[in-house]
Amino acid sequence: MRAIALILAAAAALTAQVRYEDIVKGPGVNWLTYMGDYGGQRHSPLTQITPANVANMSPKWTYHVPGANHLEATPLVYDGVMYMTDANQIHAIDARSGRRIWVYRDGAVKRQSPNRGAALLGNKVFFLTSDCHLVALDRRTGALLWSKEYASLEKDGHFATMAPLALKDRVIVGVGGGDGGIRGVVIALSAETGDELWRFWTVPAKGEPGSETWSEFPLEYGGGATWMNGTYDAQTNTVYWAAGNPWPDQFGKPRRGDNLYTCSMLALDGATGKLKWYFQFTPHDTHDWDAQSIPVLVDLPWKGTTRKVLLHANRNGFFYLLDRVTGEFLSGTPFIDKLNWASGIDAKGRPIELPNIEPTPAGRYICPSLRGASNWMSPAFNPQTGLLYVPTLEQCDVYTVSETVPEPKKEIMGGGSEPHNGLPGKFYLRAIDPLTGKRKWEYPMTGGAESWAGAVSTAGGVIFFGDDDGQMVAVDAKSGHHLWHYTMGQNITASPIVFSVDGKQYVSIAAAADVYTFGLFEPAKPTPLVPTRTGN
Amino acid sequence: MRKGSSCAARYHKIQMLRCFRIVTALVLGLAAASAWEDPHKKDVGDKNLALRTPEAIAAGGALFASACAGCHGRKGEGGRGPRLNEGYTIQGAPDDRLFSSIKNGVKGTSMPPFDLPEIQIRELLGFVRNLSAPAAEAPAPGNAEAGSALFYGKAGCGGCHSIRGRGGSLGPDLTNVGAERSLLRLRATIMAPRLLPSGDYRGARLTLKSGKTLEGVLRSATNYEYQLQSADGNLHRLAAEDLKEVVYREGPVMPSFANRLSATEIDDILSFLARQTVRPRVSD
Repeated sequence: MRAIALILAAAAALTAQVRYEDIVKGPGVNWLTYMGDYGGQRHSPLTQITPANVANMSPKWTYHVPGANHLEATPLVYDGVMYMTDANQIHAIDARSGRRIWVYRDGAVKRQSPNRGAALLGNKVFFLTSDCHLVALDRRTGALLWSKEYASLEKDGHFATMAPLALKDRVIVGVGGGDGGIRGVVIALSAETGDELWRFWTVPAKGEPGSETWSEFPLEYGGGATWMNGTYDAQTNTVYWAAGNPWPDQFGKPRRGDNLYTCSMLALDGATGKLKWYFQFTPHDTHDWDAQSIPVLVDLPWKGTTRKVLLHANRNGFFYLLDRVTGEFLSGTPFIDKLNWASGIDAKGRPIELPNIEPTPAGRYICPSLRGASNWMSPAFNPQTGLLYVPTLEQCDVYTVSETVPEPKKEIMGGGSEPHNGLPGKFYLRAIDPLTGKRKWEYPMTGGAESWAGAVSTAGGVIFFGDDDGQMVAVDAKSGHHLWHYTMGQNITASPIVFSVDGKQYVSIAAAADVYTFGLFEPAKPTPLVPTRTGN
Repeated sequence: MRKGSSCAARYHKIQMLRCFRIVTALVLGLAAASAWEDPHKKDVGDKNLALRTPEAIAAGGALFASACAGCHGRKGEGGRGPRLNEGYTIQGAPDDRLFSSIKNGVKGTSMPPFDLPEIQIRELLGFVRNLSAPAAEAPAPGNAEAGSALFYGKAGCGGCHSIRGRGGSLGPDLTNVGAERSLLRLRATIMAPRLLPSGDYRGARLTLKSGKTLEGVLRSATNYEYQLQSADGNLHRLAAEDLKEVVYREGPVMPSFANRLSATEIDDILSFLARQTVRPRVSD
């Protein structure tokens, strides 16, 4: 016994940890962040599954999350263990088989919001409760290390739906609630203790730069929620975080001005939280076009030199290319066919708005829809094809406004929207060349325009995505041609991941109530029973 | 003696209130009268009929001993009547259903109706609820500071259980145990631990075909694979095809502390465990 204990103790010293350096390297065998890497590319270097053999993909296991009906999380995988979240709960699952290893639930939370996933660092796994507690657990055992409230649901109407973003020694978090009159904030907490290191308010305080863009509107209700996690450039220690829409969403009159920093991309210093630059996509938004789709960080040749750029398929219908070091606007191109609120983007990156675009009590026909041309569902970037794969919705809405300032904290938007003529739109997976903004190909989906599913790219040359009809689909990264699909029988509201265990490549995606995992077909191997006995 | 006489005085007062209530009911209607009569009502709301103040629980306990213990057992452990100190029947029943069972009896059983004033039924409910309440909500039986020292010291609990990251990992994490277990259940586990029905934390020694041996607790096991956690907290995922033999430990890994600790020491540890909640306790 003692000898065994010694052996185990020696083994512990050698135990692998989730190292920051490994997260910087990006996905491989493991999938360590919401987007796989810090840059939001969602590109796996694994090559076992290719256009030539993907037809042999078959389901490996299904994991049911009890009580779930709208799973939005991207699972993480480290060393053969998958971490999956839902409202106020996290599950550790054997990634080979789908067997539960442990589950942690916080039953005391009064709100049940969707949850988009976890973060890994060292021996910890982090996730957020719906009422804004950063929870740190021992990833091996599921034992709670600490649970720290970083924002207040009760006092300020803040809630949490995002996956936290773990950097070298800190965890970056944000808040939801922008449709109910909150003030958005990005917060960095110590990964060791949960203590706050810095915070950046997305709506300035009175007298601060940007506050002049709000007329007399009370800034504490301005909105600018930070509900989706951002991306990170380790070289420059810069956090890229999107800020949400101003409030009241559709009622712009009481908040004349650009309403900084809503509907903007923020570049924050990872060390201090200081604003390096901002870029506002939609000044004075009245269509709920927050900027929450993933900012994808890549290095691309732009007019003869390699530039560190940021790709962003915004909810407002334009695809943006920004220099991510300076925030300089490089280009902006529509990535939807129906766009009727702006004629283009000017040289400085400001949309050239057409007249009469604000919602009216009777209703205004505007494209794209309130859900946006894309939304929080993840795009994917493939460095080999150089294409960004964007789940895109072609839909127009009739936007209405209720012209009284709603009461803050009640989650009332100040208006409404519905599809024009009651006709829902249509989803496409569009492959965009980021240098030109042009569409290389598109794959149309069937369904009721209710998808919240994203995509993942692989070096094997296959793009996997959840479609609008409850199916996981594989297409050729170069051509967009269909290669394989599987019907999950439930709506997909999450994005797929790619990982490997024991040398075998897998693809996983959460549908409404279950996590599905696929791999190349292998005939079942008869397993003889292991001799067991009871004794000491 | 003092307790007894104050109880009698209280009863007298209730009787007087009762008379007054009948008169008032004629004038104001019953709903208005009961709202006036009940000083606790504004705090607890209609669905929370159980009165949970220490005084109410003590009064309910005295009444329970004389009116209920004969069938339900002195500590609610059950007898002719069902067990009341734990289990879904009692913990899953809402206050108003239990209130009605006491007031009107339960048809088809030997539970008779009790013609008691509303406030006494609510005190009874308070006592019964307290039997199965999460430890964090119950009065502490001992000294929590002494319990902490025992937990991480002489008793050795911290060797296997962790609280907020401090302690071992062969047993369940106890960070939230005060909110999840009643004192009764905690005490029973310390005195006579049992295997978990789920099979979780079952002690096992796995011998691999390679000759290597791994020892720890199982977090999951099927005929095809095993997930074993060793004393260092690390997880080992093993395929059945790689295993030569699995030896399950006889009984639970956790020893009984009935003969290892004094009654006072166990009360102290219980008090310490009762304080362990992830979210702050209402009383904090």
